[in-house]
Amino acid sequence: MTTLVELTEVSKTYDGASGRAALDRVSLGIEGGELTAIMGPSGSGKSTLLNLIAGIDRPSGGRVRVGGEDLGRLSEARLARFRRARLGFVFQFFNLLGNLTVLENVLIPAQLQGTRPATAKARAMELLTRLDIAELAGHYPARLSGGQQQRVAIARALINQPVLLLADEPTGALDTHGGAQVMELIEGLNREGQTVLLVTHDAKLASRHAGRVVTLIDGRVVDDARLEGASPAPQSVVKVRIREGQS
Amino acid sequence: MSLKFGILGLLAEQPLHAYSVKARFEDLLGGSWEVNIGQVYTTLQRLERDGLVEPAEPRGDRGRLPYRLTEVGRKALEAWLAEPESEPQQLREEIYLKLQLATRIANGDLPALLARQRRVYLQRLKDLAVLEQKAKVQGRDDLVLLYKGAILHTEADLKWVDACAQEIRKGEDKR
Repeated sequence: MTTLVELTEVSKTYDGASGRAALDRVSLGIEGGELTAIMGPSGSGKSTLLNLIAGIDRPSGGRVRVGGEDLGRLSEARLARFRRARLGFVFQFFNLLGNLTVLENVLIPAQLQGTRPATAKARAMELLTRLDIAELAGHYPARLSGGQQQRVAIARALINQPVLLLADEPTGALDTHGGAQVMELIEGLNREGQTVLLVTHDAKLASRHAGRVVTLIDGRVVDDARLEGASPAPQSVVKVRIREGQS
Repeated sequence: MSLKFGILGLLAEQPLHAYSVKARFEDLLGGSWEVNIGQVYTTLQRLERDGLVEPAEPRGDRGRLPYRLTEVGRKALEAWLAEPESEPQQLREEIYLKLQLATRIANGDLPALLARQRRVYLQRLKDLAVLEQKAKVQGRDDLVLLYKGAILHTEADLKWVDACAQEIRKGEDKR
């Protein structure tokens, strides 16, 4: 496996902030094909980290490399092209355009990228089929459930075949059932080889779906855990304590 | 959890001998505890002594003697079922003791201690998710609830570890 994302001593301080860095000398490598969760309480620096990896923000110190590109060396225009071509984004609030159909929403990044319309449409329909929402292609987002809207957002994120899918609290606006379906889908995409970086404050979600959980506290990485997915024996996980001699 | 009332609850359904009590108790808890047959015998004898259970058949082989609930036993069971659980919070994990001692020992590496503990809790959450899913597939709604309880406790444990880590960071900032 190759290192797809490489952060070296990355810091970020915002102007006017209390002086404490939002990110403090974070070094982290993410291999291609991994599903990594970035976890931590609110204010721990998760979104800052995501924004730096996405090239939406620039670090105050250190280096961010994604897919071999040193993002700090790219101009704003090249950075925008890089984001469009190499990254896919899924947000908490789907960010779909209400006046466009599902298919039109999915096609936007491909049109910006200059992909031939026939190729883009074929790829979009393939994704909608894969995500089980092909029959909704002509519908408008307002008519869809939250879970369906998030599937559309995932299709849109994947239309340009990104090397990295960034998912920021993707189940935050969904009910338990819709959230579980979306996460199953993201995990399935990962099994097919898609590298995913999942940002969440939800430990249950992170541990259930990610093979690796990086925990941030106050801008620092305090743990980087690789989890085993094997089927456990109940007794090794939970024990009900029984009192003796209570008669 | 009380073996005494667990046995009374099982006998409320039907008379059972000691081995059936053990098997049903273990199934009730989804294999999360192996009950010692000796414990079951001892508890049944005490329950019989106190008039809460009685032999359902003439006394023969001890292992094959079925017991049933008496009226006194049924009332005791009903009273227990109606009571809320009010025992003090039990913090049994040694991490609490380790944390207390590590803060007192010079050079005690608290962040590393907490990081190791966090990994255990994260792995436990993943394992519990697998068990919960398995119980769902098997239609064991009772076990799903048991695992949900364990998941919520583990999430709380993780939050506590994070709170400790944040306190340590605050302490570093002050120095």
